[in-house]
Amino acid sequence: MILDDKFAPIRKGLLEFILLKIIAVEKVYAADILKQLSSTEFATQEGTLYPLLSKMRREELLDYDWKESEAGPPRKYYELTAKGRAQLKETSEYWQKINETVKQFSQK
Amino acid sequence: MNKVVTVNLNGTAYQLEESGYDALRAYLDEAAAKLAGNPDRDEIMSDIEQAVADKLRTLLGPYKNVAATAQVQAIIAEMGPVEAGAEMPPNEPPPREKAGGAGGAGATGNAQSTVPPEAAKRLYRLYDGAMICGVCNGIAAYFNLDPTIIRLVFVIAGMLTGGIGLVAYIIMAVVVPAAGTAAEKEAARGATNWTAQEFIRRARAGYYEGMKGFPDREAQRAWKRKFREDMRDWRRSFRWQTRWGGCAGQSHWHSYWAEHPFMETGWGIALPFLTLFNAVLAIGFIIAVISLLTNGTLIGQTPPAGMPVWLTLVLLLLAYNFIVWPIKAARHVFYRHGICGARPGPRVFVSLWDTFVWIAFVCVLLWLALHHLPQVQEAVRNIPAVFHDAKEGINDWWTHH
Repeated sequence: MILDDKFAPIRKGLLEFILLKIIAVEKVYAADILKQLSSTEFATQEGTLYPLLSKMRREELLDYDWKESEAGPPRKYYELTAKGRAQLKETSEYWQKINETVKQFSQK
Repeated sequence: MNKVVTVNLNGTAYQLEESGYDALRAYLDEAAAKLAGNPDRDEIMSDIEQAVADKLRTLLGPYKNVAATAQVQAIIAEMGPVEAGAEMPPNEPPPREKAGGAGGAGATGNAQSTVPPEAAKRLYRLYDGAMICGVCNGIAAYFNLDPTIIRLVFVIAGMLTGGIGLVAYIIMAVVVPAAGTAAEKEAARGATNWTAQEFIRRARAGYYEGMKGFPDREAQRAWKRKFREDMRDWRRSFRWQTRWGGCAGQSHWHSYWAEHPFMETGWGIALPFLTLFNAVLAIGFIIAVISLLTNGTLIGQTPPAGMPVWLTLVLLLLAYNFIVWPIKAARHVFYRHGICGARPGPRVFVSLWDTFVWIAFVCVLLWLALHHLPQVQEAVRNIPAVFHDAKEGINDWWTHH
């Protein structure tokens, strides 16, 4: 698909925004995030997700704590920090603005 | 025989085949190299090891404890190449992300060696997402199609052929093994990236590309209209010709019988033998289909290499119908009242005789099969289990909808 390739950089850039949105809803662990993404255009693999999550944590956008799971070893559950929430709000507004700009061009 | 290597992934021990271990080692080494300079390198590596361990655990289940090389390679392909995230140099083209489809098994570096080889495919019944016994689901997985399409084909074929679809379903429910273990489920789907849906998508894309070649929208529409009209005319004339041919043949035979009454008796005696022949052909056909689907051979013969199974299946069906058609036509002409003005005759006795011979033949065959074929005995023993599964399936479906 040509569009798929064309929009690869945009999807890549939006992935962080999407992750903020997913994690804002509730505490999730990585496999959960991948599952939510898998049926969308933002389908992602572990090889991409883990480095991005740890980068976001380093930027103090999110944090995690360990929780026991019914099967297997404990899992990392991620949640947003105050800074993460602020960034999500900011990004949402910016995204809204971009969308409106795109729409505005098609009206003429 | 393969050497087995035990590895420690984030504190849990797993056993891998040696070449699978090498592939995993290469993947992790590459990941570590990509993450060089990343302050979170150790943490990301342990996350990744944990993810591999989780996948291995679901894959191995309670009975197996050694992961085969192909399985390890499939896991690596699923994980995807590790990207350095924000630290990626801007001039390097971004690795293609896996977006939706089945592609994107990794594009760079030694990820090439981790693309899973074409695993052997087998026809299984698949219970995950099944409606009755998982026959259609299994076939769909085998051909990489939507199960709904296969179900529709079964239902429509069943209605057109007067029950053959149903009989075929029951036979397959008994004969085709159910995929129980993860490995069998994997074999049911195969590990190929080349799916039928992808094929259809490409064909459609090509079709639209071709449409774009038309000079303007008007010409495009005109071409479409003409194509549709041509098709309609062709269908109409085909239907008319077959019907006319059938009528002509029928009235021909009826007038012939009217002149030569003894021939009618002759046909009356011969017909049951045609029926027998038809029955033998039908059984041979069913056996051929089963052998084709279960071990890929056509009663001892392998179909030419490179020919997809579905094509062989379609050809087989065509050949069967081609051979059987004259027999069917003869019986049809004999039984039915003339629709084109030919005189209908009293043929109750002949039909009764024909049916009797047919039933007797089926009974004898069943008895022979039950007493001399161990596979059939096995299948008959399985019938209660299959119906139990079917009942469970329907119950499940009923309570969840």
